[in-house]
Amino acid sequence: MATQLNPPASISLGDFGILESVSKCLAPKLEELRGKKIMFSSDDKSLVPVDGWGTKCQSCATVTTIRPIRENTMVAAIDSSSIKLAETEEGGLYAIKCGVAMAYDGAALMHFKIGPMLFYLSESTIYDSELDDRLARLVIADGDVARRLIRVRAERAIQFELAGHLRNSIILVDGSLRASVFEDRERSIGKIAENCVLYRNHLAGISKHTKLKVLERAATPLVNVPGPAYLEVDIIIKSLVKGTVGNNLMARLGSNTPVLRIDVVGDTDRALGRLLGNDPIAHGYPETLRLAHHISTFTSTEVTCLRCHVLNSYGVTELAADDIRRTLLGSIMV
Amino acid sequence: MKILSKSGNELLLLAMKDDSAVKGDYMLIEDRGKSMVVQVYDEEYLSSQSLIEDIVKEEVVNASSAENLHDPLNIGSLSRLVRDARIFKAKIRAAVTDGRLTSDVTWLPSRVESKVRKLAMKELDGLLGRTGVYPIPLGRAGDEDFEIFAEDLDGKLTIITGKKESGKSHLSKLLVKTLVQHGAFVVVFDLNNEYGGLRWNRDGTPSPVHDRVTVLEPGKALQFSLDYCGKAAVAGMLKNALDMPTASMREFFRIWDWLENKRTLNIEAIGNAVNTWNINELVRDALVSRYHVIQSSRLFADAGGFKFEEAMKGHGAAMIINMGEVSGTVRRMTVELVISKIVDLLERKAIPPIFLVAEEAHLYIRETYWEDIVTRMRHFGVYTTFVTNQPDAISDGIYRQVDNIFLFNFTNDSDLDKISRVSLVDSDTVRSIVRTLPQRQCLAIGRAVCELPVVVKIAPAQVLALGETRKFFKK
Repeated sequence: MATQLNPPASISLGDFGILESVSKCLAPKLEELRGKKIMFSSDDKSLVPVDGWGTKCQSCATVTTIRPIRENTMVAAIDSSSIKLAETEEGGLYAIKCGVAMAYDGAALMHFKIGPMLFYLSESTIYDSELDDRLARLVIADGDVARRLIRVRAERAIQFELAGHLRNSIILVDGSLRASVFEDRERSIGKIAENCVLYRNHLAGISKHTKLKVLERAATPLVNVPGPAYLEVDIIIKSLVKGTVGNNLMARLGSNTPVLRIDVVGDTDRALGRLLGNDPIAHGYPETLRLAHHISTFTSTEVTCLRCHVLNSYGVTELAADDIRRTLLGSIMV
Repeated sequence: MKILSKSGNELLLLAMKDDSAVKGDYMLIEDRGKSMVVQVYDEEYLSSQSLIEDIVKEEVVNASSAENLHDPLNIGSLSRLVRDARIFKAKIRAAVTDGRLTSDVTWLPSRVESKVRKLAMKELDGLLGRTGVYPIPLGRAGDEDFEIFAEDLDGKLTIITGKKESGKSHLSKLLVKTLVQHGAFVVVFDLNNEYGGLRWNRDGTPSPVHDRVTVLEPGKALQFSLDYCGKAAVAGMLKNALDMPTASMREFFRIWDWLENKRTLNIEAIGNAVNTWNINELVRDALVSRYHVIQSSRLFADAGGFKFEEAMKGHGAAMIINMGEVSGTVRRMTVELVISKIVDLLERKAIPPIFLVAEEAHLYIRETYWEDIVTRMRHFGVYTTFVTNQPDAISDGIYRQVDNIFLFNFTNDSDLDKISRVSLVDSDTVRSIVRTLPQRQCLAIGRAVCELPVVVKIAPAQVLALGETRKFFKK
């Protein structure tokens, strides 16, 4: 006869030493929180304090005001978005949409909607490209990396062409001007910047949010300036980030509007002055970039249509899918 | 078209741009040997919050600057298809078993496998077994000619209702004309003196029923002898149309009997008797006042007069009683006399059953009387068609007995409320279809369409249109 084990009457975490172990895994240091100014976080949002952190200015950087230059100039803003549309056993199918919005003499001129376009990234397609072997493996393994690759490549292609075809214009890019491992060598941000200089174009990369906390503190002097202004943060950025291009600034493009990180290739004062003079700025953000963002985002209808297109055009068989998280965790829906 | 969902007896059908159906169309859903008949009663856009946001966003973007598209996969056209996708709301009407319609709809068609197609009217008639000997072509249902059968109006109560100038009288005239052509006898209480136009075509030539339409104007062509009317009809008229009190009625009967025995019954003799009769002065006053109304109405002639039996000797006839230019009292007196006499003749089987068309009946007869006609007189052979623009003027008691309803456009909510409560189909169908019916289109409900509502575009009138509103400003 098999020995029958009776369950213990009660189990305490103390018996295993778990509580002590967890409390000592990292020093909580909660006493240091006392008296601090606090802003609660939200996972999916980039939040900034409305009136800044209110810390005293420790930076000795000079704040330069930006004066709009009413000199007719074409402003072209580029943005893109990519989604993972489907998966196969060997890879993933991605879709990209790009938007180019143009303004001139203070008014929106036209916009170009490019896409959606599809890219199938699998082992065979990636290894045929000139991507580094390790990077190729990463792209296959991680969908987010693959999406980024497609975005960077597509955006750089557009930026490169605009830089080579426009003259004496401003090219606006969403995000910082920084070399990426995903770039095509022929259409790198460096080459784009070179073309801009060659054809007397200004290139500006505008970031809505920066992960570098130090930049927020460095931008504190801008809070006290009522109108558009900037201060240079080259030293901070170049010491923290490799591969950035142009002058690095923290700037405010309107009155009492959010402070943005802006990287500029070319004469900063002229670039920002002509930007203010030719692109409508609403809530401190260029209207062309806002428009480019809106026209490049995928709508749910487009995603549905893309799925129909794939099913109709490539002889694929759709497999039933299941949300694994929902299956495993979904018994209690909150 | 595909089935999207089902709730109760309602199906939602997803339709793309090229799928066409209009409110009232019948669809056949076929699934693995089984079929179901549904009727589209409403149409909406396929709408979701995200779709609306997409459309708004695109419009805002396009309004702010000119758009240039590079869409190599042509996803934009697919996207436009999705935005133009529609939802047809349909009511399940019947299932098809062994080629016949049944109400046994206990199965659910597959959303994936089932095929949805438009059901032609002829096909539906075949499934219903809807046939007859005496067709009444009404016009068109969808792309097909549509007819009902006179048999479905025979012995039935019919209501034609809709707002002003929606085409009620037009349909009513079409029914009268065709019934007469089929040999039926029709009495019309015509408030606008418009049915006389049935005698003529629009081009001025005589219509096919020219010789069978008699226009009777109270006091002129429509006069009766007292003998012909009889005591009961005249008593009914005095009581119901002239509100004669009971005591006065009693004295009137005495006078009538006395004159009848003397064989001197005529209007003048009644007048003399009323003045000389030994009665209470108040009763005399009551009799005198009624006598003067009767005399001034000129509804009674001492000799000759109109006789229904004689007018109904041929093969079909329409007796149009023009009441447009007579006073309300004379109108009520006329209707009382006509109905009493007709019932009397029908009781004696002196005339065949008749169709009675009453335009705006509430204007000349009390409600309870119509209920009596509908319930009791139907058995004698008076088959009534009410034509009204006030659905609430007809009592629920009458609606409960109705066999056919022809519903023209209503936009007023209270009218729609009333009609959707009392009609023979679900209120969703009535509300949605009736609200958007164009002029001269109606929703036919009831026996004439085998209980399956049909939207009918009434054929243009071939006969002369009379009774149009006189206007000050001429075009």
